Order: sequence, then structure tokens, then C-alpha cells
Amino acid sequence: MRIGDLTRLSWDQVRRRKVVTALCAAGLSIGCAAIILALSIGESAQKYIETEMNSFFKMDEITVTANEGVSTGRNQGGQASSGNPAVGDDSKDRGKLTDQKLAIMKNMKHVTAVAPFQQINYMEMSTTDNRKSYVEVIGTDLNMLEAFDKPFMNGGPSDLIGTIVLNYGATLGLADAEARDKLIEQLSRNPYDSTLVEQYEKMNRMPASLFQRQVQFLGYLNDGKAIRTSQLRVTGVLKKPKGVSENAVAYDKKAYVSLETAQMMRQELNMGRGGSADEASYNSVIVKVDSQENVEQVERQIKKLTLNTQTNLQQKERLAEQFSIIKAVALGGGVFILIIASISIVVAMTMSTYQRRRQIGIMKVLGANLAQIRNMFIIEAALLGLLGGLLGILFSYWIVWGINGLIQSMSGGGQDAVIIFVPMMAIPVGMAFAILTGVISGIYPAVSASRTDALTAIRRD
Amino acid sequence: MLRVEGLSHAFRNGTETTTVLRDINFQVRQGEIVALLGSSGSGKSTLLNLMAGLMKPTEGDIYISDHNIVKMNENQLSEFRRKHIGFIFQAYELIANLTVRENVELPLVFQSVSPSIRKQKALSLLEQVGIPEKAELFPSQLSGGQQQRVSIARSLITEPSVIFADEPTGNLDTKTEEEILAILKRLNSMMKTTFVIVTHEREVAAQTQHIISLRDGYLITDRDPSDATPLAEVTTG
Repeated sequence: MRIGDLTRLSWDQVRRRKVVTALCAAGLSIGCAAIILALSIGESAQKYIETEMNSFFKMDEITVTANEGVSTGRNQGGQASSGNPAVGDDSKDRGKLTDQKLAIMKNMKHVTAVAPFQQINYMEMSTTDNRKSYVEVIGTDLNMLEAFDKPFMNGGPSDLIGTIVLNYGATLGLADAEARDKLIEQLSRNPYDSTLVEQYEKMNRMPASLFQRQVQFLGYLNDGKAIRTSQLRVTGVLKKPKGVSENAVAYDKKAYVSLETAQMMRQELNMGRGGSADEASYNSVIVKVDSQENVEQVERQIKKLTLNTQTNLQQKERLAEQFSIIKAVALGGGVFILIIASISIVVAMTMSTYQRRRQIGIMKVLGANLAQIRNMFIIEAALLGLLGGLLGILFSYWIVWGINGLIQSMSGGGQDAVIIFVPMMAIPVGMAFAILTGVISGIYPAVSASRTDALTAIRRD
Repeated sequence: MLRVEGLSHAFRNGTETTTVLRDINFQVRQGEIVALLGSSGSGKSTLLNLMAGLMKPTEGDIYISDHNIVKMNENQLSEFRRKHIGFIFQAYELIANLTVRENVELPLVFQSVSPSIRKQKALSLLEQVGIPEKAELFPSQLSGGQQQRVSIARSLITEPSVIFADEPTGNLDTKTEEEILAILKRLNSMMKTTFVIVTHEREVAAQTQHIISLRDGYLITDRDPSDATPLAEVTTG
């Protein structure tokens, strides 16, 4: 029997027996949608966490710190004992993070950028018109910012001492000190006043144009007396980072200064250098690698320089492990629903077989053999699976759309909400499960149909 | 062409056994129209079902074109029926969701014949039974007589050696009955296909060339064309 004829005859039955078709397709569509949803939620949550993790942890970066465990005074480290006068006494401590080691790291294969990132402090930043905000001040090589995925929105780095680069978040929420204090006071009295909360959030997100403006930082002496740095000129503002929510951007306030400016600020604020007066060595540097896959290899090479390294790959592996468990459980749930749904198919198709036994009898009398009758029913079941699968895909998109809408409305329309998406891989998986369940569920009714006794079937009472 | 030898059949109902056919022997030549005549309970329908391979006899052999169908398994029987046997039912038994043409084509579908050849053959047969214009209608749109014509066309499409017709005019009025019998006789003379017609009506049997009468499971008369016994005696027996 030709496959086209088999399909046509089976499709005729699917079209004609609307109740059976609706029952079976509904059961299968629920199962298929459950599988697609399970995969979608698992995948979306993983993606979300990964994106968040990438934005916070930077998976392609290695934080390198000096190896303080290495004893000092031994003159045997090859690299550190070069004749470079800038390096000076590096040979005294093999674990130091020196300029020379920085240069070696820059030349390593797969390394795209190396720069020191030294946190100075969280400080109050004020503009000339007395608007204030708290930012984290970091000393680095400003020319390397772009290499660390920090592109400029305005301006660029300057080699001059007394210049500063702000990230996008640092330009938000600069409010008049008096107005801010007043609002905070009101909020502390009425913490659940939605108007005040909204007003506060609005204030925190309010942008200010700081490019080419002067800013100052405030520090405190040991006796509690406030002390200010000299005016610093904003020569660059970084672009808003991609894939990060408005809220996260508003709370991520950073100011980048050159190492020389950082030194100047420390002196002005009487902060010192944390016990080290050695200008040719660093506390920590960040190494950017061309891809996550090469991080391990680069890390091994850096360790050979007697330095400590730290990456976030372990976090990713832990997360992947946790999500594989979550996805397996979710998929199991979907398959369970599909199995339950398959019972309805077996019942509906067996009923359908019973109702059609006369027709089956006639076909057998006309020459249809067992396999042909069985195949007709199995193809019918597969078609029901296909229909159920298509409906299931449609349902899953609707449900995902509904859940996203719900999340959005619950989060007040913010961009922080986890947006669930249907991964492309979920559609063929869901469809395959639906068709397979249809076929497996159709086997019993098909075998039962093929065994129908022709004579009993065509006999009229 | 069709040979029945020592055929007996009994139904078992618990401990009770009811014999419906006892030592039946006859043969039918190629191209004959044969009537299996008998009243209700005579065993004629059982005999037809046995000859069509839909049942296995308790005893005896049935040869169609020299193939003993009693020895065949279910799949061999399906194959054999598909190629050598046609059926005409009293209640037509057309598939409601297929068109007239598709119904006629159905036996060829099971033989994997190409759609174009099937269509050509079906249309030609529908023309021969006088309803070519009904090809694309559904059975429910036809009268009883027209449906039986479709059933006749369907039985002929595989060019079988023998066609078994179970009370083919049982559901029809006299005028339509005559038309259907006329079609059967015409097709028989044209195609030389053997027809075995089960009937309880003597008028129908009287129009055939060979009458086999059954009563209470016994073959009581077997009047073939060479038999000189007057037809009236057989049909009134």
C-alpha cells in the first residue's frame, strides 16, 4: 500500500472523527506544551542567570593578584630579575605583580588585554552645582577601558593627571543634596508610600550631562573631618552596558582614573598606598581572554609566573550542573504529563476502532491485510501526534507570552524581569515527543483493529 | 474453477455443536453465474463465507483456480482475496467518507496500484454499470440501486476469478432488482467472471445458469447447465 494512500485514508479519519481527534490532539498538545515549557523555562532561567553572571563576573576575565605566599629575598626568579631599572627590586619577591609580568601576560596567546584595576574607595562625588552621588573609584589604565568592553559614549581617555572617566551609571541619580536628604527623610517616615518610592526611583535614574564637567570627591580624615580632592575633569562617559536592566545600571556607579591620578587622590585624601610604596608593582590586574574556552589555558600560564589567579568558570560549571538537574526534572514532568495524555489517546482510539470495526471488516474482505490495517491506524495516531504537537507549540507560545506578560506586570514593567523564550531546540523535541507518544499510544488500538474478525465485523444482526 | 469437496461445518456453542453444512460437494465452471439457493438457516451464507475464506470449515477442501484456500493462513488469504475474489454485499458496504470513485478504487489501493491507473479503471467500470456521472459523489448521495452498482464496480476492479454476491438484490425493489441482475449477466458475458450469488429468492435463482439448493445444511440439488432437469422443479424444490 502506498504511503500517500495510507496517509490520505488516515487523514480522512482524523478529519471525520472530530471528537476523537479533538480529544487526542488536546491530550497530546498539553503534553507537548508541557515539554516545550519545561525546556523553555529551564533554558531561559539558565540564560538569564548566565547573562547576569557574565555582567557581574565576566567569564572571560582572569583576576591576577600578587602571590604573597612566596618568600622574599631570593634572587632566583628568571623574569623578575631582568635589568629593567623600572622593575628594580622585583627579584626580592618572586610573587610580586610587576610591570614585567604584565608585559609577559600581554604577549600570551589568547590574551586580548591586561590592565590593573585597583579599587580606591567608595566616595561621595559632587558636581560644581552641588549635586551628589556615591561612586566606586577605580585606578586603571584608561586607554585599556575599551579593550575591557567599556566603550565610550562621549569623549575618551586622557593621559593628563586630574582627568576622570565615568561609567553610564555614575551619570544617573545625581541629585541636589538638600532635595535628596529631604526625600530620604520622608521615605524613612513613610517607607511604604508608593509615590515617594516612585519619586526616589525616578531621582535615582535621572541622567545628568557630566561630560567635560568638573567633579570632586569627598573623603574623611581619622578625626572625622571632611576633606575634598581637587577638581577632576570628566573626559569620557562610557556607554550604557548591553543586556543590563535600568535598575542595575543605576546602582552600578563607577569612576575610572589613571594610576597617577589615583595616587594623587590618595595623597590629597591622606589615604596612603596600603603598606606598599613600590610603584612598579600592583595588587591586582585583570587579564581579558579572547574566549571562555581559553581561560583555563591562559590561567595555567599565568600561574607559572608565581601569581595567584581567580576565574569565574567554576561558578559557571556549578550553575550548569544545577540547571541540568532542573531541566531533567522539568523534562521528566513534561514526559509524565505526556504519558498521562497518552492514556486518553489509547482510550479514544480504542473506542474509535470499535466504532469502525465494520469498516475494518469490509477493508479486510476487500483484501487489506493485517499490516495494512495496522499501519493505517498507526499513521492516524502519528497524524494525531502531529496535530497535537502543532497545537502544543501554539499553546506553549501563548503560555510563554502570558507568563512574560505576568512577569512584566508584576515587576512594574521594568526590564529586570526574567523573560522566558522558547528555544529553537524545544520545538523539534516537543514535536518528536508528541508524534512518538501518538504512535506508541496508537500501537494497541492498531493491533486490536488489525485483529478484527472480518466476518464478525460485516455480519448484520 | 471453484471446487468444493466433502465440506462440512459445525458451530460449537459451549458443549453443544450445531452442524450447519454436511458433506457438500459441487463444482463451478469458469464464467458461470451460480445461485446458492436456500431458505433462512439452510447454510447458504455459511457456505459463501467458507468459499470466500472468511471462515475455516470443520472438514473438507475448497479449491479456487486450483488453490486450496482451506490450507491458507490469514495473510495468504488476504493476498488471495485481493487478487482472485470480489464481493458484493446485500447492504452495499461502501465507505461513507470516500467518493464513489474512491470506493471503486479501494481494492486496488491495497494492491499499491498507481492512482492514475486506478482512476482510469474505476471510471471505466462506473461507465459499465451505468453511473459514470456519479463518480465524485459520496455514497449517501446515491439511491440503493446506484450504491449496489458501485459495489458491483468495486468487486470487478481487481478482475477477480470469482465474485461472491450475498443477496445482492435483497435490499432493492423489483425494478431495481431486475436492473442489477441484468448488469450482472451482462458483465458476466462480457468479462467471463464467475458469479456466485446467494439468494433465497427463486426468481433471482431462475435467472442464473447453475443452481445449487441447500436445505438444513444438505445440498439437495445441483443443477448445472448440462442438467436436463426442468428449472421449475429445482426452484420449487
